[in-house]
Amino acid sequence: MRGFWVTVKMGLRMYLRDRGAVFWGIVFPLILMTLIGLAFGRSDSPSFTIAVVDQSGGLLGRGLLEGLRQVPVFRVEEAGDTEAALVRLREGRLTLVIVVPGAPSGEPIRAYFDQARVTDSQTALVILERFIADANLRLARAPQTLRLQATGIAGRIQLRFFDFLLPGILAMTVMQTGLSGVTWVVATYRQRLILKRILATPAHPAAFLGGLVGRYTLTSLFQMAVIMLVAVLAFHARIVGSLATLGALIVLGTLVFVGMGFAISTVSKSPEAANLLGTAISYPMMFLAGTFWPKDFMPKAMQPVIGLLPLTPLVDVMRGVSARGDAVTAYLPGLAYLAAWGAVSFLVAAKRFRWE
Amino acid sequence: MPIVEVVDLFKRYGDVPAVDHIGFVVESGEVFGILGPNGAGKTTTLEIIEGLRRPDGGRAVVDGVDVQQHPREVRSRIGMQLQQAGFFERLTVDETLQLFAAFHRRALPGSDVIHRLQLDEKRRARVDTLSGGQLQRLSVAVALINDPRIVFLDEPTTGLDPQARRALWEVIGSFRREGRTVILTTHYMEEAQHLCDRVAIMDHGRIVAQDTPRGLIRTHAPGTTVTVLVDGGQVRFDALPGVQTVQQANGEVILLTSDPLGTVHALMELNRSGEAIFHQLRVEEATLEDVFLQLTGRRLRE
Ligand SMILES: Nc1ncnc2c1ncn2[C@@H]1O[C@H](COP(=O)(O)OP(=O)(O)O)[C@@H](O)[C@H]1O
Ligand SMILES: [Mg+2]
Repeated sequence: MRGFWVTVKMGLRMYLRDRGAVFWGIVFPLILMTLIGLAFGRSDSPSFTIAVVDQSGGLLGRGLLEGLRQVPVFRVEEAGDTEAALVRLREGRLTLVIVVPGAPSGEPIRAYFDQARVTDSQTALVILERFIADANLRLARAPQTLRLQATGIAGRIQLRFFDFLLPGILAMTVMQTGLSGVTWVVATYRQRLILKRILATPAHPAAFLGGLVGRYTLTSLFQMAVIMLVAVLAFHARIVGSLATLGALIVLGTLVFVGMGFAISTVSKSPEAANLLGTAISYPMMFLAGTFWPKDFMPKAMQPVIGLLPLTPLVDVMRGVSARGDAVTAYLPGLAYLAAWGAVSFLVAAKRFRWE
Repeated sequence: MPIVEVVDLFKRYGDVPAVDHIGFVVESGEVFGILGPNGAGKTTTLEIIEGLRRPDGGRAVVDGVDVQQHPREVRSRIGMQLQQAGFFERLTVDETLQLFAAFHRRALPGSDVIHRLQLDEKRRARVDTLSGGQLQRLSVAVALINDPRIVFLDEPTTGLDPQARRALWEVIGSFRREGRTVILTTHYMEEAQHLCDRVAIMDHGRIVAQDTPRGLIRTHAPGTTVTVLVDGGQVRFDALPGVQTVQQANGEVILLTSDPLGTVHALMELNRSGEAIFHQLRVEEATLEDVFLQLTGRRLRE
């Protein structure tokens, strides 16, 4: 057991001293995210689309409508039906729905916003509140002052490009760690007879190999955390689902692809050959599995193949959790398929593993 | 008391036997050397005894434990320095020893081992900045980390400059003084002669002789060698006075003689009369090199 922990500890030190590993694990995915984001992701406009449902039919509604139109960042539409407007809000096509009550009711003005887009809606609400405060001053002689009641509703989240892209980038990096990183490292340890040195000790080989797996799991979590942080801070990507669930998915994905890396490293003699084979497998997957753009963009004929790739279920579940806040239970078949890949990989690796 | 016993060991790669039915016994506390040229089968022999390779026949018993049945138990009782094996290049000397210590049940403090191998000023240096000699010492340090009673060293001084070699000889000498048993391989006859209590001479997978260095010389190359570089002329060297055997290698003629004065005198006569021309006449005590030459007809290093 001590062998396991010391292998993990020393493995982490080696990782931090390895510029190449840090580059491929953190810098490269960030560059990729930036480039793809710049190419495809410039669709957000900074304006807020607001629908006003005027039930008063009188001065109040008119005045509010006129007033809101003065605010430069508001695009104001008049809507007849509250329900229809709320549907559009849920679909993410509106930022706020404002309902002006019928004249004698004394009810407050209602504003509905999408809970999942709190930042956008809050900005709009703050502006709206300022506007109502002004209106109250100006309408000081009105029969009643205006009050605002804001109600959040759960909308179908509108995916922005970075929300979509981030989980794909994460899944891709998890895969690369296994298929490019592990293949190279294990084959190098073998070729340079470092594995043989481990074999020369009385420790059980599992202590060292398990320590390597532990090291990759921890470095993978670290890399993902850095990428997520940059994506959220710099690109305003939104992670809706639970971070703990995402962490668990990252661990699962890392185990599966590290297992594949071990298996691949038993097939090839030299580190170069092992790495090349790993890359040859990972690149097509990277482009096919819906990592950077939706799977549906790929030709219909490719779809069955795409469904078989082990990266596909990982991208799907990570995107579902991260961007849409889905429950993992919705993805159990895919997760089982992914885990099966991992189990088979470790079996192949255990059966074929050579120490020199 | 024997601590290592090797009985009728056999291993082949393809059709070629790498180790060809060899047997020997190492006594507790002695330094036992396996001397032979490259490809003789030294590494294969050592790694079978260490439990790293399976023999095709025969057996090895280390400290009363059968290697094939309990390889891991054997490995916990021995220390081994492997020929050519690499290190994690991004770890320091200190960290490397910490890591290997964690793979043993029992370990000496890393700083003690580092001090013994004179690596103190390299403690915090990364392994990829070490010189060949320092790497070799680190390799011996790894063999010592579990404080083993039996230490296996596979060509520990190959590739070292003479000064580094002498320093390592010192360390190996200290192992013996501490009562550890040392089994080492080498293709330097000086090393075998200087360090070993007993030497097995190995060639083409066989042990062709084994004894103390003195015993080997007494039995196989008694007397003195006279070496000359011949530059023309036909000479029947075996007819010269005192000459017992004649060996030729790399243009040199090596005469093993019981009468060095008589042999040299006769050679000078031939040179003066112009019957033959010699350069570089050398007269030396016979060494293990001569023993090897007598037994195989070749030199240790070509
Ligand atoms: N793994 C191997 N596969 C094939 N041949 C080998 C292997 N290991 C050693 N040999 C062969 O066995 C012979 C003995 O090698 P080795 O034990 O390394 O000799 P030494 O250590 O004395 O130089 C050589 O001819 C070598 O080519
Ligand atoms: Mg060797």
